Amino acid sequence: MKDMILLAYRDINERKARTVLTILGIAVGIAAVIALISVGYGFRQSVTSELVEMGDLIMVLPGEASWGEYMELGRFNDRDLKDVERISGVQEAAAMASRAEEVEYRGERKMVNVIGVEPQDIDVIFGDIVNTEEGKGGRGLRDNDHRACQIGYSIANDYFDEEIRVNDRLNIGGKKFRVVGILEKQGGFKAGVDSGIFVTRRDAKSILGNDDISEIWVKIRNIAEAEGIADEIEERIDENHKLDDFASAMTMGSAIEQLNTVFGLLQAVLVAIASISLIVASMGIINTMLMSVMERTHEIGVMKAIGAKNRNVLSLFLVEAGLVSAAGGVLGCVLGVIGAYVICMCISTQFGMNIPAMVQPGVMLGGLGVAVLVGILSGLYPAGKASKMSPVEAVRYE
Amino acid sequence: MIRAEHLSKVYRMGKIEVPALREVNLEIEEGEFLAIVGASGSGKSTLLNMLGCLDKPTSGAIFIDGVNTASLSENELAGIRREKIGFIFQQFNLIHSLNAVENVSLPMFFAGVSSDERMKRAAELLIKVGLRERMHHKPAELSGGQQQRVAIARALSNNPEIIIGDEPTGNVDSKTGDAIMAILKELNHEGRTLIVVTHDAEIAAHAPRVIRMRDGRLLEQ
Repeated sequence: MKDMILLAYRDINERKARTVLTILGIAVGIAAVIALISVGYGFRQSVTSELVEMGDLIMVLPGEASWGEYMELGRFNDRDLKDVERISGVQEAAAMASRAEEVEYRGERKMVNVIGVEPQDIDVIFGDIVNTEEGKGGRGLRDNDHRACQIGYSIANDYFDEEIRVNDRLNIGGKKFRVVGILEKQGGFKAGVDSGIFVTRRDAKSILGNDDISEIWVKIRNIAEAEGIADEIEERIDENHKLDDFASAMTMGSAIEQLNTVFGLLQAVLVAIASISLIVASMGIINTMLMSVMERTHEIGVMKAIGAKNRNVLSLFLVEAGLVSAAGGVLGCVLGVIGAYVICMCISTQFGMNIPAMVQPGVMLGGLGVAVLVGILSGLYPAGKASKMSPVEAVRYE
Repeated sequence: MIRAEHLSKVYRMGKIEVPALREVNLEIEEGEFLAIVGASGSGKSTLLNMLGCLDKPTSGAIFIDGVNTASLSENELAGIRREKIGFIFQQFNLIHSLNAVENVSLPMFFAGVSSDERMKRAAELLIKVGLRERMHHKPAELSGGQQQRVAIARALSNNPEIIIGDEPTGNVDSKTGDAIMAILKELNHEGRTLIVVTHDAEIAAHAPRVIRMRDGRLLEQ
């Protein structure tokens, strides 16, 4: 085998430019697949790890929800909130009233998500990592604040032409508000915080015109009881509204499950698209090998004349195809890893999400294996053609 | 040792049948030196291809050491070419990507000889044909005469009983041609059967037995 590889290598070496192009063709295909899988894993990991941190939370929505689709059936009320708080195992329940409202800042108007929430509940919903920006960030909302708001990082810096600072005035839904604090940049799963304006529920009622609750966040004592508590929450609220399937209580576990399904599907579609380049690459190999067989017809005749069996010629060309595609596979792995890191870097600078490029050795080995397999399968037809040549005709061929 | 009986070969070109060999009967003894002469198109190369197991006859039989090669499979024929026959072509037919010693070792590679043994024997053979200094040169770096010597060394690599030369001096000058013929005659003296196809009367004159061909038939023996 070692000698066969050496012999094949000598032949490949005679046609450097064409071989390099064929290798690149395979490398691009493998690199695309490896990069997409690695970024996909990283994306999934970063989102689910955030959700795992929030494992003691249950999100309750007034409607039928599954990730990617949500149909709102109405709103919750304070009775629902109180009933939820009374369920055993529930540590805290926080209500959020939110709606997109017109916000005016120095003559500029934009639609912004305005969220009404009791100040102490912000911690329940978003964890204690939501802080006001250091130094110029001002302070958090307080219970007795009136017409005061705390704004997300993007609202302060990106939404309006002019940057919003602490103590600036905003006009929200026709009412004047003072900015008391600017939140730190969140990104990732909490990117919603960056593009929201937070007011007390009392102020939210004055803007929205009602006391409705758009979502309830529940903090539980024991993560193991999450599913049971979620069922009970749905039952209580459905009873209050005399409707079946009115409330959807989503534990983070089920959210992770649904996200994984969505990501898995998304990844499969992306990999399928990337695989098209592998099919194109395989045609490149067939083409290169067919040309090689044609050019070397005379040589094949000579080899047969001096005693090569059909099997020898077949394996020589298959080894050649295998070598070219293995080289493409190795290069593809390297390019794929670089590609994964570059994509993650771009996502991080463009969208502010920190996604790790999760390059797994198994995926790289798989990529290499697929490359060699594609190479050998593509080499079968040209190699078969070469091996079946009649020695006397092949020797005569010039 | 080699016996051809009623050997015929017909090439089909579309609907036209072109007979290249007609009822050829021939017997070649072990250790004989035979020259086949004839004009181009007389069928001498076709006969050589049959004797060298490169091609199969349309009808008739060829016995090499008692085995009818006309009834063998392609791989069995390859085995006979590898073990029993050494070919020397007019165009040398060396593999361009391989150097001299690798070219010589190639038939041994197909015969499954180990790498060390192959290289050792190839080097010995190249020294025998006077190419001690050119072992690692590629064909493009060798003269016509040197390439033909490499081809002779290659023909000898599996120590065959039969050497077949198709115009072996056709592509070299007369002085080199004489040197090539001297090597071939020496191989014949060692006991190998030598069959040479040529249209050069001078070359044929080296052979104790000359057969002439015309229109696919043997004229005299």
